[in-house]
Amino acid sequence: MDQTRRDLLEAGWTVGGGLLIAAAGWTSFVALKPLASAGGGGVLPLLEPDAYPEGSATFVRQGRLFITRTGGELHAISQKCPHLGCAVPFCESSGQFECPCHGSVFNAAGEWISGPSPRGMDRHPLQVTDGRLLVNTAVLEEGAPLGSRKFDGRARGPRCTTEPAD
Amino acid sequence: MPATETDRPPVPRRGLMARLRGSTLYRSVVRTPGSDSPSGRALHAFGNVFLHIYPVRIPRGLLRFRSTWRLGFISSVLFALLFITGLYLMFFYTPAVSMAYGDMQQLRAQVGFGQLIRNVHRWGAHLMVLAVVLHLVRVFVHGGYKAPRQFNWVIGVGLLVVTLAYSFTGYLLPWDQLAYWAVTVGSGLVKYAPGVGNVLRDFLLGGETIGQAALLRFYVIHVAVLTVAFALLMAVHLWRIRKDGLVVGDTGVAHDVTARVDDRIALPAAEQADGVARLDDSRRVLGVVHVDEVPGRSRDPDDEVFSWPALIIRHQVIALAVCALVLALGIAFEAPLRDIANPNLTPEPSKAPWYFVGLQELLAHFDPLVAGVLAPGALVAALVALPYVDRNPSRRPADRKVALVLFWAVFLGLVVLTIIGAFFRGPGWAFVLPWEHLYFEP
Ligand code: FES
Repeated sequence: MDQTRRDLLEAGWTVGGGLLIAAAGWTSFVALKPLASAGGGGVLPLLEPDAYPEGSATFVRQGRLFITRTGGELHAISQKCPHLGCAVPFCESSGQFECPCHGSVFNAAGEWISGPSPRGMDRHPLQVTDGRLLVNTAVLEEGAPLGSRKFDGRARGPRCTTEPAD
Repeated sequence: MPATETDRPPVPRRGLMARLRGSTLYRSVVRTPGSDSPSGRALHAFGNVFLHIYPVRIPRGLLRFRSTWRLGFISSVLFALLFITGLYLMFFYTPAVSMAYGDMQQLRAQVGFGQLIRNVHRWGAHLMVLAVVLHLVRVFVHGGYKAPRQFNWVIGVGLLVVTLAYSFTGYLLPWDQLAYWAVTVGSGLVKYAPGVGNVLRDFLLGGETIGQAALLRFYVIHVAVLTVAFALLMAVHLWRIRKDGLVVGDTGVAHDVTARVDDRIALPAAEQADGVARLDDSRRVLGVVHVDEVPGRSRDPDDEVFSWPALIIRHQVIALAVCALVLALGIAFEAPLRDIANPNLTPEPSKAPWYFVGLQELLAHFDPLVAGVLAPGALVAALVALPYVDRNPSRRPADRKVALVLFWAVFLGLVVLTIIGAFFRGPGWAFVLPWEHLYFEP
C-alpha cells in the first residue's frame, strides 16, 4: 500500500514536472515566435518591357531584384544568393552574376554555372499588363536545379571576381 | 616565495596596518586573520569566498607553468575583462537599427576612452576564443577528460560553444558591413539543418531577414542569455575540478586534490566512531566514502604546497600580464568598423571572423548541409562523446597513440582550413597569395 502511494506520488511529480517544462517551452515558443512580417512584398510596377534590352541587368531597389533579358526572355531574379544569402551583384563585363561570398556564378537568367550554391537563383513571377511590366515580390520561386541550364553558361568577357583556382 | 612548510612563529606586526587588521570592523569583514604559518595560509584560502575556489593545498607540480599552461585561468581572466568592458559598452549602445552604428561612431568620437574599451573588448574576445581552444587541446593532450572527469570535459565543451556563440552574436552588434554579412552567411547556414532549419533560423532572427528583430535578439542573447549560461557552466566546471581533482601536466599522472566521493556511498568499516573517516593525516572525508574508492596513492602530502600564496600569487601575475597584453593590443590596433550595414551590397570579399573562416572554406567545397551543419555538428558531438568512447584509462602518451594521432589530425586539418580561408582567399573566394594581397578581417 505504502509502496503504491509512493509510486503514485513519484509518477505524479514526474508527469507534473514534465507538464510544467512543456508549458514553459510552449510559452517561450509562442512568445518568441517571429512576428508576422508586414505583408512580405506585393506587385511592383516597372517600365515597359522594351526598356530592358538583351544582355542588360537592371537592379530594382524596392524589390531587391534584377530584371534581365536573355534569349529574348525577361527574368526577375532575386538578389539573394540561394547558397547563404549574400547579395549577388551583376558583373557587366562577364554578363553573369558572381557571388562575392563563396564564388557561386550564375548566368544572366540566374541559372547555376559553378560554385557551392545548391540551385539557380530564386525568381519572382513577371507579367505584362497594359504595356507595363509587373513583378510580384510576394512570390518567390525556387531557382532551377543544378544542371538544368537552358541558356548559355559562357562569360561574354572577363570575370569581375577572379576565377577560382580549383 | 615562502614555500617552506615549517610552522614559523607569527611575526609581531606594528603600525597602522596592523592596528587596522586588529580592529573589530576589519575582523568583521575578513573572517580569518592572515598569518604566515601553515594554518594561516590554509585559512587564507579557506576563509575567503573568492579564494576558497582554490583547494587549500595543491600538488607542487601545479606550480610549474607547463603543468597547465594556465590556459583555463587565462580564459577566466579574459572573460572577466570582457564582462567589465561589456558593461561599459552597454551604457553607450542602443540595440536599434537606426541607432547602433551611430552609437559606435559616438563611442569612437565622444566617449572618453570609448574606442579603447571597444578595442579591448574586441581583442579580448579573439584571445578568449584562442585561449579556450588551447585549453581544450591541453586537457586532451594530458588526458584530463578521462574518468572521473568525463562530465567536466563535456561542461568544458559547453563553455567552448558558449564562447563561440558570444562571438557570433557580438559580431552583429556594431551593425556595419562586416557585421551584417558575416551574420547573413552564418545564419544562412542554420536553414540547412534538416527539417527544423527554417523555423530555427526565423526564430534566431525574429523574422526572415536580418533587421531590427534580429539585432535585438542577438543583443539580448549576447548580454543576458549567454552570460547566465556561462556563469552556470563555469560554476559547475570549477566545482568539478575541486571534486574530481586536477590532472597535472606532463607527468601524465593525476593528482587528486580532493578525495573523490563515489556514488556508491558506504561508511568505512573502521574509524567511524566519530563519524569521520581518517584516511591519512591530511584528509578527512565525512564518513561517506568507500575507502577503496579513494585514489589515495597519487597524493603525497610531502609533495604539496599551500595555494596561498604559492599558486594565487602566480595567478595574480598572470592576470596582470593578460590585462597588460589586451590593453597593449587595444592601444596598438583599432577594432574595425566598416560602412554602415547595406543589405544591397555585399562587400568583397565577405569573410567570417577567423575562428569561423575554416568553416567558410569548407562551404566553398561541399554542400552546405555537409559543410555548415553536419561537419560542425559532428565535431561538437565527437568532442562530447570523446570521454565515453575513449575508455583507455592511461594518460601516458605512449599508451594513447591512436587517440593522439586522430586528435592532432583533426586539429591540424582545422588549422590548415583556417589559414587558407583567412589568408589565401580573396574576392569571390578565389585563391590569392597573401603576400600579394592580404584580405584578412580581424
Ligand atoms: S552566399 Fe553566394 S556563394 Fe555562398
